[in-house]
Amino acid sequence: MALLVLATLALNCLGGEPSAARVGEPRRLVVMVDERGFESWPGLYELEREFEARHAGLDVVLLEQGGAVGQQDKARFLLAGELQLDVTRIDVTEFGAYLAEGALVDLEPYLRADPSWSAEEYLPVIDGLRDARGHLYGLPSTFTPYVMYFNRDLLRAAGLDAPRAGWTWDEFLAAARATTRDSDGDGRIDQWGVSLTQWLQALSPWIWQNGGELLDEHGERALFHEPQTVAALEFVRSLLHVERVASFDASFEVTFSQGLFQAGRAAFYGPVGYWETYRFKYIDAFEWDVAPLPRAAREATAIAMTAYVVPRTSREPALACEFVRALAGPRFQGLLARIGNGAPGLRSAALSADFLDPQRPPRSEQVFLDVLPTARFLPPLANWRAIADLCAAELAQVLLAEQCDVAQACQSMSRKVDQLLARERERAGLVRLRAGSLEASFALALAAAAALGLALFARSRGRLERGEQRAALVLLAPWSLGAALFFVGPAACTALLALCDWSPLRPLSDTRWVGAANFARLLEDPSFHASLRASVAYAATSVPVGLVLALALALLLREHSRWSVLTRTLVYAPSLLSPVVVAVVWRFVLDPDQGLLNEALLSMGLDAIPWTRSADAVLPAFVLMSCWSVGGQMLVFLAALQALDPQLEDAARIDGAGWWRRLLHVTLPQLSPVLLFNLAIGLLGAFNVFAQPYLLTQGGPGDATRFVALYLYESGFRRLDMGYASAIAAVVFTLLGLSTWLLLRASRRWVHYAARSAR
Amino acid sequence: MKLGAKFWRRVAMALCAYAFLAPLFYMLSVSLQAEGHGLGGSWLAAARDPHWENYVRALERMGDWRRLIANTLLVSVLCVGGQLFTCSLAGYAFARVEFRGRELLFAGVLATLMVPEQATAIPRFLLFRSLGLVDSFAPLVLPSVLGGSPFFVFLFRQYFLALGPELGEAARVDGCGHLRAWWSIFLPLARPMLVTVGLFTFLAAWNDLWTPLIYLMSPEKSTLTLALASFNRSYNTAVELMLAASAMVLAPCLLAYFSLQRLFLRGIAIAAAKR
Repeated sequence: MALLVLATLALNCLGGEPSAARVGEPRRLVVMVDERGFESWPGLYELEREFEARHAGLDVVLLEQGGAVGQQDKARFLLAGELQLDVTRIDVTEFGAYLAEGALVDLEPYLRADPSWSAEEYLPVIDGLRDARGHLYGLPSTFTPYVMYFNRDLLRAAGLDAPRAGWTWDEFLAAARATTRDSDGDGRIDQWGVSLTQWLQALSPWIWQNGGELLDEHGERALFHEPQTVAALEFVRSLLHVERVASFDASFEVTFSQGLFQAGRAAFYGPVGYWETYRFKYIDAFEWDVAPLPRAAREATAIAMTAYVVPRTSREPALACEFVRALAGPRFQGLLARIGNGAPGLRSAALSADFLDPQRPPRSEQVFLDVLPTARFLPPLANWRAIADLCAAELAQVLLAEQCDVAQACQSMSRKVDQLLARERERAGLVRLRAGSLEASFALALAAAAALGLALFARSRGRLERGEQRAALVLLAPWSLGAALFFVGPAACTALLALCDWSPLRPLSDTRWVGAANFARLLEDPSFHASLRASVAYAATSVPVGLVLALALALLLREHSRWSVLTRTLVYAPSLLSPVVVAVVWRFVLDPDQGLLNEALLSMGLDAIPWTRSADAVLPAFVLMSCWSVGGQMLVFLAALQALDPQLEDAARIDGAGWWRRLLHVTLPQLSPVLLFNLAIGLLGAFNVFAQPYLLTQGGPGDATRFVALYLYESGFRRLDMGYASAIAAVVFTLLGLSTWLLLRASRRWVHYAARSAR
Repeated sequence: MKLGAKFWRRVAMALCAYAFLAPLFYMLSVSLQAEGHGLGGSWLAAARDPHWENYVRALERMGDWRRLIANTLLVSVLCVGGQLFTCSLAGYAFARVEFRGRELLFAGVLATLMVPEQATAIPRFLLFRSLGLVDSFAPLVLPSVLGGSPFFVFLFRQYFLALGPELGEAARVDGCGHLRAWWSIFLPLARPMLVTVGLFTFLAAWNDLWTPLIYLMSPEKSTLTLALASFNRSYNTAVELMLAASAMVLAPCLLAYFSLQRLFLRGIAIAAAKR
């Protein structure tokens, strides 16, 4: 009954509009732009104070964006929840998606109304923030073209000059050959010509230089399969596998360890942006600088940029636009340039000493401005996060695999991207989900749960039974209330969304009905299949390995002594760490170049293993990492071992059974319930593993660690395809439920429960 | 011979302890090194010239750390309290009350373990928004207080089953209600399990990042993990400060575990051994 009441209550709540600002409440301006954390905060506070002083009664609220973890997640939730967000900062690779989803406010009318406004004050990069009509939707924060870093000392040692503007691929290759060497004569190359970057935006300059394009001019078809593109990727691949003058640097987000370049073991590093100067400023072992990228048929480079925008959930668009102008104004841009955040979009700041500081390396900062005429954005017509994700597996294969048909991989990329673009075009023609459907599904699920519960309770015979039913109702009430509200209801919404197309940037009212289309796509999606395979492989290895290790540890530490108690604690200690910290620590341990593990292998005379860089080695690396948190399982075994009946083992010993036979025939059968318990929990844990791949490998290399939970998250929050993510959830739920059920059924054969008794 | 076996056992123990401790040890050594070395510096350098001021700087960067600790502690403690209450009640019902549909309902409870958390996050957010509870501790605490993880319901059920069918029978016959039996007979006996579940809950709440990130807005409501996360930028991560802060966040967990270790083990022992 209570549940029914609550269901209707929730229905009303869900249906209600978010409460508008009440009369007399102070006006607020909600800003979420933490530029490079701490160092920019003083500047932000200053802007806040000034703005509040200028606008009496206005409260500027600065929100925390959460660092690299879930950087844009919060904005997604605020938009999905129609909550006030007036100013935020986005990456220009997301601009297309924000624009297409109608998530941004057109700033043009506000800017035109201001006589002091002039777009001329900004470098031409500002055009990357215009829509097809030329309207501005944001102002630049900082940007950086992709350039080539070089180690002047290594070049000098090889008798080479610093690269000049307009140098060619051939000259680049020659320089790379001349600087690749095995300096200690052990047969292994230890100094590389070039340390390459590998993500789509970093690879696109090669394609453009060779005369290729990513999309056609209307943004309707992908052109990866064209010969210039294939040839460009063949060239990059040859650097790695034919010429063997290149190695990979750590990927984009992995900046915890020193890369090859920073360690002075690569002559060139790139194509990469200005952000690397931030960690390279600590280099004092050699002299380094930047140069434009080498050219082929033409000169070209890519631009990375962040921009201040006004999301559609702004309540104060005029004030928000004013705040955006302040953020993109001289003072704050000067501060960002001094911090070393990138080149400021504001012309005066970019040309000032704040950016072109001769005291601070690189010496040729000017290069970042000089290459602008040849620099381009990824076409702002599409969701580049999604396209980059779609291509990631093929690109990894092209670059990493020993054998690869590049043309075929390019065909496959084009096909996948075409499908995405077609789907985005067709979306407008789909039927809208009727308003209130999600709320209804929420309420319906609650009502169904309540009805099921009541049906189970009803028809009780006899007074005693009725009493028991009533007691159960009371005892279970708090838990079921929470489970219904926070679990069953949301799960029902997810189930409905699985049949829809909805992006978290859109209002809920713009949910389109697609029926079973999401599930049909799942059937044909190689990345989803790969993620399922990866999850199954991970579960199939990490769970048994963990079980054996935990059992072995428990057997080792079962005696009662100070030593074993201390060791137990130490073994369990890593399980107390937050997953974020675990990932940071393991990034260090597994780093292929300077990691703890490889150092240990090398010192034992073994070969280093490219843990996070090879699709074959990364799964063992994850299994190893999961072993580190095996403490919990060990405790369960340990606890069960202590509860065993010692007489049984003594009897076996008297009968002459050895250690191994006692373990197999006496101890293990008694432990079988615990084994089952650990197995089931381990299985669920293995399928839900999220934080480690998210923070450590972002699913790579290729799709090797894109486990289902991560794939689900990426689909929903990065590629903004919440319906698809919900469909994945439904499939995972079904598969997990089925396998757990099978496991429990099969367990009847091998699990022996002792007679029920207090221990 | 016997001494030999003991000796090797000790050696194996030392090796295990080392293997599990090494990464933690390196975490500490990196947290003590000079800025700008990333993870490349050696622990010897850190030992020769420990930069203890990293810890002070980390604290300073976290801002109002007293407030952060107070907030995190409040959330964690509320979660623990609520979780223990609802889960032990539900676990008791599933173990001790003979009601119709018990097995089916229990299977339903376990099924909730199988839905990925990321999938239901947005509908849940919309729910809290319409209840007007965004930017409060409620979304962090309420799901624990009212819902509670099905895993813990399961653990309590196991524990109460293991206490034997005779327990409480006499009291029941004397007319003692289930609620009272739960409170005055079963809960006092369930101390090990309360500690176990309490510790698990505490750790989960203390280390949770995503929920606070999404729901909390005002700086004065921020939690420790949120402050920790802002050390982790994509372009420039001050690793030594981040690990120093991590070490400080870890300390209370270690302390809690050390002091409760014995009860913790007993709780697991009893729950794990039963069907």
